[in-house]
Amino acid sequence: MDYEILMPQFSDTMERGKIARWLKKEGDYVEKGEVIAEIEAEKAVMELQSFKRGTLKKILAFEGQEVEVGKPIAIIELGEKVEKTEEPKKEEKPKVEEIKPPPLKETKQKIELPPGFASPYARLLASEKGIDLEELQKEGRLPSPTHARDIEEFEKERYFTPKAWELLKEYDVSLQELLREYPQKKIDEDLLLAYVEKRGIPKRVPISSVQKSLISNLSKSFLVPHYHIYEVFDLSLIPWDREITLTHWLIKVVGDAMHFFERLRAVYKEDHYLVYPDSNVGVAIAVGDELYNPVVKAVNKKSLKEIAQEVRSLRKKAEEGRLELEDMKGATLTISNLGMFGIRAFDAVIPYGQVCIMAVGMQENDGKAHVSFTFDHRVVNGFHSALFVKHLKEKLLDRNYIKMLKKGA
Amino acid sequence: MSQTLAEKFYYLMKLGREFEIRCKEEYLKGNISGFLHLAIGEEAVHVGAVVGFGKGDLFCPYREHVLALARGIDPKLIMAELFGKATGVSKGKGGSMHLYEPKMDFYGGNAIVAAHLPHAVGAAYARKLMGEKAGVLCIFGDGATNNGTFFEAINMASLWEVPVLFLCENNYYAIGTHISRSSALKELYLKARDYMPAEVVDGMDVFAVYEAVVRAKQYIEEYGKPYFIEAYTYRFEGHSMADKGDYRSPREIEMFRKRDPINLLVERSLREGWLTEEQIRLIDQKVEAVVEEAVEFALSSPEPSEEELYTDLYCGVCSDVIP
Amino acid sequence: MLYRDALNLALDHAMEHDSRVVVLGEDVGFYGGNYKVTDGLYVKYGPKRVIDTPIAENSIVGTAIGMALMGLRPVAEIMTVNFAMLVMDQFVNQMAKLRYMSGGKLMLPLVVRMPQGVAKQLASQHSQSLEHFFASVPGLYVFSASDSISAYHGLLHAIRMDDPVVFLEHTLLYSMDFPFEYVRDFDPFRARLLREGQHITVVSYLKMVHDVLKACEWLEERDGISCEVIDLVSLRPIDFETIYQSVKKTHRLVVVYEAPKTLGLGAEVSARVCEELFYFLDAPPLRIAGEEVPIPYNRKLELMAIPTPEKIYSQILSWSKSHGL
Repeated sequence: MDYEILMPQFSDTMERGKIARWLKKEGDYVEKGEVIAEIEAEKAVMELQSFKRGTLKKILAFEGQEVEVGKPIAIIELGEKVEKTEEPKKEEKPKVEEIKPPPLKETKQKIELPPGFASPYARLLASEKGIDLEELQKEGRLPSPTHARDIEEFEKERYFTPKAWELLKEYDVSLQELLREYPQKKIDEDLLLAYVEKRGIPKRVPISSVQKSLISNLSKSFLVPHYHIYEVFDLSLIPWDREITLTHWLIKVVGDAMHFFERLRAVYKEDHYLVYPDSNVGVAIAVGDELYNPVVKAVNKKSLKEIAQEVRSLRKKAEEGRLELEDMKGATLTISNLGMFGIRAFDAVIPYGQVCIMAVGMQENDGKAHVSFTFDHRVVNGFHSALFVKHLKEKLLDRNYIKMLKKGA
Repeated sequence: MSQTLAEKFYYLMKLGREFEIRCKEEYLKGNISGFLHLAIGEEAVHVGAVVGFGKGDLFCPYREHVLALARGIDPKLIMAELFGKATGVSKGKGGSMHLYEPKMDFYGGNAIVAAHLPHAVGAAYARKLMGEKAGVLCIFGDGATNNGTFFEAINMASLWEVPVLFLCENNYYAIGTHISRSSALKELYLKARDYMPAEVVDGMDVFAVYEAVVRAKQYIEEYGKPYFIEAYTYRFEGHSMADKGDYRSPREIEMFRKRDPINLLVERSLREGWLTEEQIRLIDQKVEAVVEEAVEFALSSPEPSEEELYTDLYCGVCSDVIP
Repeated sequence: MLYRDALNLALDHAMEHDSRVVVLGEDVGFYGGNYKVTDGLYVKYGPKRVIDTPIAENSIVGTAIGMALMGLRPVAEIMTVNFAMLVMDQFVNQMAKLRYMSGGKLMLPLVVRMPQGVAKQLASQHSQSLEHFFASVPGLYVFSASDSISAYHGLLHAIRMDDPVVFLEHTLLYSMDFPFEYVRDFDPFRARLLREGQHITVVSYLKMVHDVLKACEWLEERDGISCEVIDLVSLRPIDFETIYQSVKKTHRLVVVYEAPKTLGLGAEVSARVCEELFYFLDAPPLRIAGEEVPIPYNRKLELMAIPTPEKIYSQILSWSKSHGL
């Protein structure tokens, strides 16, 4: 019979524990009361004793792994010493339990009172708008008690066509002024638009949640201690075409170069750097009015063709609004190319959490292009960046290398 | 030496006595209100202890007029406080039980029995930590020794080795309950003896109190450890103005009145030649004038302004040095 | 950063820069604190500044008062707020009054830290929320910390102040990990706006803040009700101005707290809002709070006794529905 050893709760506030060390290995025989592991929780290391006698059949949590209290960490096959154990079953990952909202219960017990009742705020609104609450309640046009929302609905019906009401929300219009302008008139779409134009009223353009996070990240990025490097790259050797564009080429060349520079693959974490094994290059993509920054992972291991395909598929995803978090994570350097718009040179802001952005300008007739780099000084210092840029510059002029890439594509 | 001491003792004790008799009068006139706890009969303990202790912090119970006077706080300011005037030592916000003057290391009366004992321990801890030598004198009544806080405080004082002199003035009564009906140990110093040196002294003899306190002060300063003194005394009045004290037999009161600490001091001083009748008469005159002046000051002082209701609740400043 | 580490960081920072700061309490020294808040301080600052005390709660705060009077800046720890009931004399009669009674002559730069609230099956005598006891006493400041940012900055601010502060923590928060950043000019007297919304103002503090945020997420996603969430931070004085600003916008008020509903902080907040903003209210204020029972040991019953995200969600929802939202 199998017995599951669960992550114990050593204290009332302990929610998870870390396996500090296994003192037994799979197949070992365990006596009752014998210490089988050390668990680290709440800053203290505690010994985990076995409450059963048997063979440690399977260890489910590795050393260093954090496990929630009450989740299995090992299986003991109960009984006296046995020689052989069965083949262990497939490992099951402990599920992370999200608290779920409760099922919806329909408890709409709306309070109903005889005419004459209203919330204090509804009364305030009614008196401001000259609405006779009690009269309307008697006519059944307002409920009793009346709330602010009922007045709003009433107003809407009284003064606006449904379309005009919807449109109203898009503009920064003062309702009172509008109604003063057209008293005793039902306002329709045309009338409203005319009013808006006449008054020069601004339109509210919503910001999507993706954009909101980008904007807030941008502000954070700007606080990162950063500096720029400006260079002119000779790109005349790059045989780009419609299939494999200059951007694709640059992703590949830069990705390969990053492979030699650890700091360009690193991100900053308060007391350490996290260095990615591969070159993950972000690429700035504009879709409509919005900007996305998906990432091409492991560029150093991919061919030009694969990169081109991947960038295209990422763009498609962005256009269809299907970009997932996974598609946006892990880049340490981003390339932004405005050359196709005839922009000669520009600076860019490092995407938050990355260490470099490379801003590529228009390729001039002589094949050269202005490129600016922005670096996070906490990770990449001037020495690193100078070497990196120099390396890139040389690679772009390395005929054999370019030829090889072309072939690989 | 004894001569100057005797003069000092007589002045302070007489001042205390006359001051409090006057308090009683002003209370009956309605100038003083609330709780008024008189120390009439206990002057030898208060004066002997404060003078004997000299420099150092003082933590007192609510029966503290004489302690404050002995510490040197201006009688005018104390009387004004009792009258609830803006010029009072606590701006009229504390009253009889809450006189404070940190400039003179006087940390005041506390109206919760035994609550100030841990304050004294903490204060002594702080003084010691900051490398200052003067200890802390903590005075409390016999009733306090039955309170849990008393045992917490003597345990901590002994455990942490802090220079506190615990002075218990045993007047036998916790308001109306005799010590025999409230304490299992009749000799209160026994409660502290296992934690620290503890001794008993005649609280009606100001010289005895003085000498014991001087010895204790030397000990706490030298060793940085606590010390306990129990002083037997008696209050001739009730617990407060609201208490007539008639739970005590007239015979008992008469017996103690025979040992009135001021009379004892006068008799001895005359006998030993430390004071003359003439000197005593001059001191009496001075005391009378001082008390009269204090009452006049209190009477003519203004009431606190209405804004005072909201002041002194919080400091509202940060005197920190943390960047 | 873990909540307990944020508190530790604040203590460490204060002790490093101000030699007058001392820490005292049961188990705070050699043992490192029962919730490990003072871990490492004993080794770093020694037994004279990190003081182990007997189990004598009244005198822990009592001695801290004595230390503060002499110019030290003690930070006392009471192991849990439940034990603070033994200290009520020192809190109410001493800490809160000495300055006032002395006409401003005495100064008490003193902090008493303690955790409160339901953790997990600690039973009635270890699970109470008693913030209203302290918040009802003039002369005290009462701060609460709902995450690592308010824990660090709030505690540091409390230590810096020259007035006595009761600093409330929540037992369940200690081992929770929160994002941390140093905030310039953190003001514990200002309530924090943790979430902006249009329809309802939800006021909360300590651990309930997180349950409220969860419930408000659901309300927004499933019911289109957008809530503005306010974390009070200071429970005495309460930053009513921030609450009023929000209620003027939403016209609706909900207060969520873990203590029993009767005479809790929610009563004060809703009463003030009614006094000040009666004509701006579109619904009667709602209090979501603990049941009128001691906290039972059994987990199921325990969870029934206090607000949970689920309960907060459904109570706000049904209240909104029955009051015209």
